[in-house]
Amino acid sequence: MNRRLLLVLALLLLLAVPASAAEGIPGDADGDGVLARAEYASAVLAYLDTACMGGTGDLDRDDIRDAAWVYARWDGKPREVVDSSGQTVTLYRPLRRVVTFSGESLETLRSLGFDMDRVVAVDKYSHEKSIFFPECREKANVGSIWSPDMEKVLSVRPDTVILYATISTAACDDIQRRLEASSPGIRVLRFDCFKPATYAGEIRTIASIIDETERGEEFASFYGSTMDRIRDGTADIPDDEKTRVYFEYWFDYTTVAASAGYNEKTELAGGKNPFATGTTEYPVVDPEAIIVADPEVVVKLAGQGLAAGGYAGHDPEALAAIRSTLFERPGWSRISAVEDGRVYVIHSDILGGAQHFIGTAYLAKWFYPDRFADLDPHAVHQRYLTEFQGIDFDLASQGTFVYP
Amino acid sequence: MMGLPANRLFCLVLLFLFVPAAVCGAPVTRTLSTAEPGAGEVFTVSLSIDGIALGGVVETLPAGYAFAGTDHPDDRVLVRGEKIGFAVMNDTRITYSVTAPASGSGDITGTWEDFLGESHGQIAPSHVAVDGIETAVASGGESPAAQQAGSPLAVVAAAAALLIAGRGGRR
Repeated sequence: MNRRLLLVLALLLLLAVPASAAEGIPGDADGDGVLARAEYASAVLAYLDTACMGGTGDLDRDDIRDAAWVYARWDGKPREVVDSSGQTVTLYRPLRRVVTFSGESLETLRSLGFDMDRVVAVDKYSHEKSIFFPECREKANVGSIWSPDMEKVLSVRPDTVILYATISTAACDDIQRRLEASSPGIRVLRFDCFKPATYAGEIRTIASIIDETERGEEFASFYGSTMDRIRDGTADIPDDEKTRVYFEYWFDYTTVAASAGYNEKTELAGGKNPFATGTTEYPVVDPEAIIVADPEVVVKLAGQGLAAGGYAGHDPEALAAIRSTLFERPGWSRISAVEDGRVYVIHSDILGGAQHFIGTAYLAKWFYPDRFADLDPHAVHQRYLTEFQGIDFDLASQGTFVYP
Repeated sequence: MMGLPANRLFCLVLLFLFVPAAVCGAPVTRTLSTAEPGAGEVFTVSLSIDGIALGGVVETLPAGYAFAGTDHPDDRVLVRGEKIGFAVMNDTRITYSVTAPASGSGDITGTWEDFLGESHGQIAPSHVAVDGIETAVASGGESPAAQQAGSPLAVVAAAAALLIAGRGGRR
């Protein structure tokens, strides 16, 4: 039994390193790391000879297509990129067989017009999002970073695997170590694609990797215009005049502290979180403390831990019901936010991942309706889906992301 | 029996079916200086290339016909028997010469590859016959399984359809 298992694993390892993952530019005959014109021409003839003229050679169709890509788009030289974990990765070929363990990176690839047929496997969460990622239904499911299906990863013979850069680093480091040990040619790239501080840079880096720099600039500009509008619109608000916000996580009386991404977005939108100080990311707060803090705005998060709305269903009533329960909490009628009706529900789909700029725009508008009267998060969202994600999703009749 | 309007409609349908296949879609087309060379005559084959920045073309000559040279750079040409390979690097036209045998007919066939566009296909065959005399000599090239460009049959069908349509219109 053990011998059989070892045999299967050995076979998988053999399969795991596709020809395209080997280091070096295909056709670089002298191995100097540059594909010169003469080398490229010679490689083409060698390929044609093998493929159509009865000759024998090593280059297959993917090899010569990759050589053409490098010759035409990278000036015959390998491309060096520094990913968000700080590692320098040298690319000798374009990305042809990609596995993503990060839905945010997958979404960013799609924003940049990457050929999604080249994504051969995705994480289980992206696999489950059949409405948002309809093209991933038939792709291999490699599990999550906490429970990766390494055999599945190797079986799809990736040349590139994308992992998170700065979250769950232990789990991602472990996956990277295992991949590099079993398949030295595999390129492991680390990106977050959900952090306001680094996302614009990541867009440009990934665009450079897939040679979509123009599209990258267009998308980074679209993203940046919304984020800059928010930053500029809140820059001159004195700290003591900022809107007091109680941001409640999926679970009742659980808020977000300074280290949480949701707090970063709350503060970006000009909100002041009275519970930001704390060591835990999502602290449970004393209900009385919320009443004492008297927030001017309450934001309740819906999503995975409080399933309602999002891309999966058009259900405004469900979000309305969540909001109603907040109004009924003991003592909350004394809270300014409740008195003024400034209690909102937002779905994590547009605040937690690559779409955080949409959710942050809603927060800014809720916190400062006069300052952001001209900001239309709904329109930003629809443009993102139609123009950058390229999915047929009409926000007027599909999905529910905020209430009211 | 179809009435005139129906007849014309049928012919127009034929046109729509065949003409696009005959004239559109193929990034590489071939023209010959003559399809009926004399014995031992050297004739010219021109390949017109549209939209392939980096790619390749392999031409296959009929048996007895021999490659006689090209204006394409030497380091981008490979000859193996009746097959000639060309590396395409932003070229829009490749011209090569062929020496006809003492007798014989057949098809010049070809394939193209667009490496950046990641596509490939067949070039429509071109028939040649020494002095226009058909012989039983088989073509040196394989018969393409599926031609992306239209076949001469399609062109003939389209021309016939045009003729019938034109006649129908005058009645």
